[in-house]
Amino acid sequence: MATLAREERLAFQDQVRRLLADRSTEAEVRRTMELPAGYDPSLWRQLAELGVVGLLIDEAHGGTGAGPMELELVMEEVGAALLCGPLLSSGVLAAGLLQALGDADAQARLLPRIADGSAIATVAITGTSGTWTPEGVAVTATAAGDGWRLDGEASYVTHGQNADVFLVAANAPDGLAVFEVATGAAGLATTALPTFDHTLRLAQIRFAGVPARRLAARGGAWDAVEQALDLARVALAGEQAGAGRRVLEFTVDYAKTRVQFGRAIGSFQAIKHMAADLLLEAESAISAARHAAQALAEGAPDRDASISLAAFACADAFSTITATAVQMHGGIAFTWAHPAHLYLRRARADAQLFGTPAFYRDRYVQQLGG
Amino acid sequence: MADVDTSQTPDADEALAQEVRSWLAANWSGAPVDAAGHRQWLAKVVEARWAVPRWPAEWGGRGLPDGQARIIERAFAAVGAPGSGQDRTNLWANTLLAYGQPELKQKLVPRLLRGEVGMCLLYSEPGAGSDLAGLRTRAERRSDAAHGDHFVVNGQKVWTSNAATAEYGMLVARTDWDVPKHQGISFFFCPMKQPGVDVRPLRQVTNESHFNEVFLTDAIVPAANQLGDLGQGWSVLQTALAYERSLMGEQARGPRSGAAESTAEEPLIALAREAGKLGDPLIRQELARVVAYKKLNALNTARAKADLAQGTSSPIMSLGKLAMSRILHEEARLRTALLGPESLLEGPGHPRAEDANFLSLNAYFTSIGGGTDQIQRNIIGERVLGLPKEPEVDRDVPFRQVRGG
Repeated sequence: MATLAREERLAFQDQVRRLLADRSTEAEVRRTMELPAGYDPSLWRQLAELGVVGLLIDEAHGGTGAGPMELELVMEEVGAALLCGPLLSSGVLAAGLLQALGDADAQARLLPRIADGSAIATVAITGTSGTWTPEGVAVTATAAGDGWRLDGEASYVTHGQNADVFLVAANAPDGLAVFEVATGAAGLATTALPTFDHTLRLAQIRFAGVPARRLAARGGAWDAVEQALDLARVALAGEQAGAGRRVLEFTVDYAKTRVQFGRAIGSFQAIKHMAADLLLEAESAISAARHAAQALAEGAPDRDASISLAAFACADAFSTITATAVQMHGGIAFTWAHPAHLYLRRARADAQLFGTPAFYRDRYVQQLGG
Repeated sequence: MADVDTSQTPDADEALAQEVRSWLAANWSGAPVDAAGHRQWLAKVVEARWAVPRWPAEWGGRGLPDGQARIIERAFAAVGAPGSGQDRTNLWANTLLAYGQPELKQKLVPRLLRGEVGMCLLYSEPGAGSDLAGLRTRAERRSDAAHGDHFVVNGQKVWTSNAATAEYGMLVARTDWDVPKHQGISFFFCPMKQPGVDVRPLRQVTNESHFNEVFLTDAIVPAANQLGDLGQGWSVLQTALAYERSLMGEQARGPRSGAAESTAEEPLIALAREAGKLGDPLIRQELARVVAYKKLNALNTARAKADLAQGTSSPIMSLGKLAMSRILHEEARLRTALLGPESLLEGPGHPRAEDANFLSLNAYFTSIGGGTDQIQRNIIGERVLGLPKEPEVDRDVPFRQVRGG
């Protein structure tokens, strides 16, 4: 897969960091997460102009032409700043799926609009089982004239309520395939799901004879879905690692300034030892996420195992860091006004998206030959 | 000074590399077969002044800057020859050279470089483990016809490797009880072959004996063997510890190459299969968790090395020991779970049980030895994360008044 030179990659990460430091402050996150759409269209445009939304898209289709390593670094910043928006849905899953499928017509129509941010796309894979596996697909496709019709249900569709275009995994008579559905198609009903993580948007989608366009698949359609999911796993790992590191930073800063019993609480070993353990978690998550990104970019022999490792290690690390950080803060972090719970909610959400840590642990053992 | 051009031009570097390579070509013929051969080789290296190139000429060095000394070390490493770079790695010789009195240096530095002097460390005590500065071995200044100016040492040291064969021990002992704990300690080269030194092997929890207890009863240390000033032993010790740590870091940076994927199957998975438990979903979760600890530590180490190569220091190195403690304890726990009641057994007929039981106990070697996990967490919290130190109640009190036990 595509990769930029190291210097270029770090410079790009720095640009993203500066944009988000300015535009995705805690106050902005709190304002945005209460908007119905859950993202700020003007920031979305800025991210598109910077080349973040089209990061993975070929330059021929108006994208940046970067790959998993750049994606992972950008997502570290996205996680640290708790960015609200359909980046994972449109820029990663949908763009990744379209590139993996290789349907030239769909690419030409959709990728440039995804890259410039003018269209939001998302991918519907699992039904209400929430497994993101072929068995989890709960939409069926039947041929109707020279087109197709979809029936069934998809759930946990990220930013489904904001999407202009859906890419839907469905079981056709000849096997699993991916279909393109436009918002507003007849028989399509999108319901926004209330989410525990207010910075996230999820939707449930019902299909009742919805007309759909079947996309050509260069390899198998599920292989293409897996490729898109691999990108999403690496992206999520980077988000978790970057967010975990940020939480540890502000927790340690608090432990240096919060005084009880006449001492900064960070001077107590009870707190200090928690912080030391969290540093190990945070640094291990960064290592796992970056290694997975590199393995994916290079098509390394340990690619699949590295992605599984990052998927559960980063989820576990981010969950542990946020949970422990609330405890280390004490009462202040039990308030809505304190940011710790925003990260805790994101950690709990990220740990469920695209497969649970337990799923990836089992898969990891299998990939190691067990 | 040295007859080598020390200016750091590429030409000088190339000439130096050429010189050391041709010397090695003429003198190195593979690893010596025994200890005597090893010492003969070291003597040659010292004679040719390759052992301590950063040191001044009067101590067998060449007064070279670090970059050129590394050229010599790399040439030695390239052919697998030991003995160079001792100005970085020889704990004993470096400490003595920095703090020793002239006659002791003359007597021992060359012999130390040639590997002729057995050495041991007399630091820890039964009552001074994590809190080494709380040591209570006493050294009292005396003078008489039989021994001249000397110290009489009484106390007990523990966790001493190689004590039975050592000629000297690097000893920290208290010489002043009326000042705070760090200020009353002095540092000595204590002769080990004398009636006042009694070395007894220590039977470990694993039923092995890698360490000794050393009982010091009216042991005699010549005043000439004092390193640094009286009462300044703590700072001498810091220098010695720094050499020891850098050496441990070297070893840690050895052949174990971080991310490299081994082709052999992960031993824990093989053991789970053998035990018929690979299909157990709970065991599979535990397998993933423990194997991940190992893999993540390897990835952390690889990333720290890459950071160092890019010239940025990394906080990750300091996490390695803590990570390793967890790996060893968790791996031992999982092995025990995989074996079940088989772990009740021991002896050569039950090698899997032997392994699991040994590893369960020996994991403490890492989580207690060389600074407990708890001390390690203090160090990470304070030096890496910048958290304030715990107030120390005994820091400014005369040691005589400090509670021991």
